Amino acid sequence: MPKYMFIYRGGQEKLKFASPEQIQQVLQMWMDWIDQGIEAGWVLDAGDGLKPGGAIVNMDLTVTKDELSTESGSLISGYSMIEVPDLSMAIELAKDSPMPNSGGTVEIRELTHNGKQYK
Amino acid sequence: MKQSTNQLVEHFFRHESANLIAVLTRAFGMRRIDLIEDMVQVAILEAMHAWKQRGVPENPAAWVHHVAKNRILDSIRREKTYEKAITLSGLSIASQSINAQESMVDQWLEKEELPDSLLRMIFVCCHPSLERKSQIALTLKTLCGFGISEISRGLLLPSETVKKRIQRAKHSLATANVRLELPSDDQLTQRLDVVHDVLYLMFNEGYSTSHGTEPIRDEICEEAVRLCHLLCESPYSSPSTKALLALQLFHAARLDARTDENGAVILLEDQDREKWNRCLIGTAQSWLANSKTDQPTTFHFEAAIAMQHCISPSVEATDWNSIVNFYSRLIHLRDSPVYELNQAIAMGQAGDTGDAFSQLQNLRNRDDMKHYFLLDCAFARIHELEGNTKAAIDSYLTALTKTVVPHEKKLLEKKLRKLADLR
Repeated sequence: MPKYMFIYRGGQEKLKFASPEQIQQVLQMWMDWIDQGIEAGWVLDAGDGLKPGGAIVNMDLTVTKDELSTESGSLISGYSMIEVPDLSMAIELAKDSPMPNSGGTVEIRELTHNGKQYK
Repeated sequence: MKQSTNQLVEHFFRHESANLIAVLTRAFGMRRIDLIEDMVQVAILEAMHAWKQRGVPENPAAWVHHVAKNRILDSIRREKTYEKAITLSGLSIASQSINAQESMVDQWLEKEELPDSLLRMIFVCCHPSLERKSQIALTLKTLCGFGISEISRGLLLPSETVKKRIQRAKHSLATANVRLELPSDDQLTQRLDVVHDVLYLMFNEGYSTSHGTEPIRDEICEEAVRLCHLLCESPYSSPSTKALLALQLFHAARLDARTDENGAVILLEDQDREKWNRCLIGTAQSWLANSKTDQPTTFHFEAAIAMQHCISPSVEATDWNSIVNFYSRLIHLRDSPVYELNQAIAMGQAGDTGDAFSQLQNLRNRDDMKHYFLLDCAFARIHELEGNTKAAIDSYLTALTKTVVPHEKKLLEKKLRKLADLR
């Protein structure tokens, strides 16, 4: 079965001004969605969130840091590993995720080898 | 980290943010309240982000406390004027290092220490220098952790109004650098009276059906009860505090029975008494018994009336004579046409429709009651008790010509339909 990576992007902006209760609701949606996936078997690895900050090393060996703050709306904020029969299935699952709701996107990319070993 | 059926305690973030704001403001001064609120928000967002895929840690409160505390300490360390600021924050610890303050914050955040900071914050939010409306809004924001939009939905006010009110209140407290102190003995009664009024009004804001029945309003009631309970459990409460808590609990016991599945309001006489929360009624009764005093307040008599309703199996079986007497005591304490109106209804229910009518007639001559639709409803009620359906219908029709909000209108129309069927 193909494996996909879900790449979560953005969504921090919208939550910045949310109330504690709204933030808790979003968190609960995430935990429910991941729990569902673990139970149904399509979550291979829930993955993790990525902290803002860090660095980019460019080809000329300069280092960029300022583009990795939460201010930039398209920051990658986390990833998960998913296992489903095809892309359309993965798309449906991503639609159900809390990401679109919190103003972010989910990028879906299939793994090349799906973890297969060469004989 | 566990990976199954994650569930945070209800309102966890809302209450943790209130706890943190109370403790951090106590440590770093009212003048930093905006900064503190921002840092608490950052900590909550970080928690959400850290837990959303991996689940909630063993001790989520400690996690959030730790992050929020470090965020605020980092930003204070960046304040060049730190030494000066400490002197200003009203803590005579200019010589103390940040580390000493940090351990104080840790201590205040401990479970058994938390109520102390919250109590102090209650007295700050109900500071006599603020207007009543600001006190309520500030309490909802700071002590209950509601957001602006939630408060505006709960109080039925435009967001901008709520925002301005809270900002003004915070600004005036910060300018005066009001300290998170508990009132001295000679001030306590006075300060407590203000807190009681705020909690009473806050509960009513949530409970009053004239504003509709949004779930957020039930939460406002719950919060008023929570804060009142906190106060009752402290050495700073009085018999009046306990009576107020009893009153709130008697009302809270009926919350679920007050609306039908469509969210329409059901009046006391039509409520399914099976749905009333017996456990809350019992708790309310023990608080009321606990509130005995030689000088009972309006809270005592209002609670006594609420109790009579709660312990009666039906409208008919209610001890209306006692209720009439309690209203007399209330009117003696505070001249209020609303008390008189309710007393008249109780008189009618007790069988004295003549007295009821003459009392209502007196109210009709008052400018502040003339246009009050509930006065016509009271007339209608007494007519109904006398079996005079036609007069009752006329009174309800008159009520409809006064200012009524949409769902009250619905309620009146329902009444009219019912009466029309009787004829």
